[in-house]
Amino acid sequence: MKPPRNPALTDRLGIGAMLALAVLSLVILVAPSIIVLMISFDTRAFVSFPPQGFTFDWYRQVFAQDVLVEAMMNSLQVGMAVTILCVLLGVPTALVCVRGRFPGTTALSVYVLVPHMVPGIVLGVAVLFAGALVGIGPSMGLQAISITVFVLAVMVRTVQSRLQRLDASLDEAAANLGATPFQALRTITFPLLMPAIMAGAVFTFIEGFDNISVAIFTHGFRDRPLPIELLAMVQSVNTPLVAAVSGVQILLAILALVAVSFSIGLDGVND
Amino acid sequence: MMQVPVAKAEQATSAAVLRIAAVSKRFGSMTVLQDCSLSVAEGEIVTLLGPSGCGKTTLLRCIAGFWNPEEGAILIDGQDTVQTPVNRRPVGVVFQSYALFPHLTVAENIGYGLRMRGLPKTEIAARVAAALETVSLSGLGGRYPAQLSGGQQQRVAIARVLVLEPRVLLLDEPFNALDAKLRGAMQVDLRQLIKRLGMTAIFVTHDQEEALTMSDRIAVMRAGRIEQVAPPEEIFDRPATAYVADFIGSSNFWQAEAQAGRVILPDGQDLSTSLTGPVRVMSRPHNLSLQPGALGPWQGRLLFQRSVGALVEYHVTTDSGDMRVMAMRRPAARQPVEGDTVTLGVIDPGLCAVYEP
Ligand SMILES: Nc1ncnc2c1ncn2[C@@H]1O[C@H](COP(=O)(O)OP(=O)(O)O)[C@@H](O)[C@H]1O
Ligand SMILES: [Mg+2]
Repeated sequence: MKPPRNPALTDRLGIGAMLALAVLSLVILVAPSIIVLMISFDTRAFVSFPPQGFTFDWYRQVFAQDVLVEAMMNSLQVGMAVTILCVLLGVPTALVCVRGRFPGTTALSVYVLVPHMVPGIVLGVAVLFAGALVGIGPSMGLQAISITVFVLAVMVRTVQSRLQRLDASLDEAAANLGATPFQALRTITFPLLMPAIMAGAVFTFIEGFDNISVAIFTHGFRDRPLPIELLAMVQSVNTPLVAAVSGVQILLAILALVAVSFSIGLDGVND
Repeated sequence: MMQVPVAKAEQATSAAVLRIAAVSKRFGSMTVLQDCSLSVAEGEIVTLLGPSGCGKTTLLRCIAGFWNPEEGAILIDGQDTVQTPVNRRPVGVVFQSYALFPHLTVAENIGYGLRMRGLPKTEIAARVAAALETVSLSGLGGRYPAQLSGGQQQRVAIARVLVLEPRVLLLDEPFNALDAKLRGAMQVDLRQLIKRLGMTAIFVTHDQEEALTMSDRIAVMRAGRIEQVAPPEEIFDRPATAYVADFIGSSNFWQAEAQAGRVILPDGQDLSTSLTGPVRVMSRPHNLSLQPGALGPWQGRLLFQRSVGALVEYHVTTDSGDMRVMAMRRPAARQPVEGDTVTLGVIDPGLCAVYEP
């Protein structure tokens, strides 16, 4: 192969192209959120871009509407329930998948992923039917369970990958120094898994808060979560109020990430 | 079932702190340790020396209790350890990676074992301070492991087990993670520390220099077996097998015939042996002499020579094979040049070894 005539130039072009792609994907990622946020401050009573003026009125209205505030509270509760369930179920599952010394651990770690691969609506219907079988109708409880089934894989995988990268001799060192298996878990393994558990908690909380595909089948019809309320609203309301509700959700997601990155650092989230 | 091939009476009289009796360990169909036996006396440092993959870590892990051998027994102070869980064995392990707890400070790392034993805080603090002093790390108790140099991390790993006063200290290649330049001095320091504390230790390495520096006795391992256990000088002077001779120091081998309990050496001297028929004879390079010219029966041609300080290393090709000779440098006029005919001799036939072919 002939060397390129001007390697420096082709290098620079290549790097330039990569940079352009990176910027483009960043724009695609954040542009919708920015547009929604901009619209949510519009002074006009209809959705249009670019927005005009600046007002907090729509946000004031969001918090003035009991239906929306209630929906928000419902979603917050479901989000927290999903997070708690995912921590309680996901962390031990990850421990068993990585540390288990019996046949079937590989099968288990693959099986845990299945509900996450199934389309959300399929899973929603499945949990609705399963709930009916055991006598649990659509409710905030069933909604929390269904979203937990859906996102448990995220928690398991996050904790699992961190666990796999922990030096296995740390546990052995603890045992050699006199720790029982439970003491070693409490004093060494858990503290070192904390960043992964926190990161998993953020993602499962956000999913619990704003999942719609699964929740649409399993939520209690008198306790509608925010995304469902928002969906109903979009069909009848054409004011920036809808954008303001989205704005609240975006803000919440950012807050959760910031809170975690303060406690464990952004690198920890990446882990 | 476990067999204990050690007679009761022998156990009682033996001063061995650690006794490994005919231990075998398998992973599936692969035998990783085969019939390993070793006794370590109070205050002794024994090195397991062998190439990577020969089973050194496996033997250490069996002693620590992370794994149990399929056959044989491991006794500490005469007590079979098979039933003793890992966290109750009076054994301290310094891991190859040191395995310091990254989220705990140096002091918390060292105090970890005491905390697991439920000692009061004030006593833990006092013993941690003493341990820090012992390994010359006073003042660094508040740091995290990541803020220490490799050598300091090693000392924390040692202090962390010393503070528990184990009966046996196990060190798995503790210098591997360190700069080659630092190792020499640190080996001497570590040996002196272990000796000062009167600890009984098993030290693992694949590096013969390290083994020679650190050990009271060396156990040379090969593919899951212990080939020879002896003090460093004896390993060097009287290697029990051709493998040991080849692994430790440099050596010359040649073929010979043993008849009526004797082997004739190429220079005409002879050597007694219990073998008969074809054998391999080994001599260290410094046990051979070299004279310029054709003066005796063992002649060869000088291929190459180089100075190693006050010594000269000669490579000579002879009818018995290529030989390496280490000798004092001669005055320039009497120094042979490459291509010259030279005559070799064995200085002390008693230092030659005879092995099966
Ligand atoms: N957990 C294990 N499962 C299967 N084989 C192992 C395991 N640990 C070590 N081995 C094998 O046992 C042999 C000895 O390993 P090891 O004791 O680590 O050697 P060394 O420490 O002397 O380098 C190697 O062939 C290695 O592949
Ligand atoms: Mg090893």
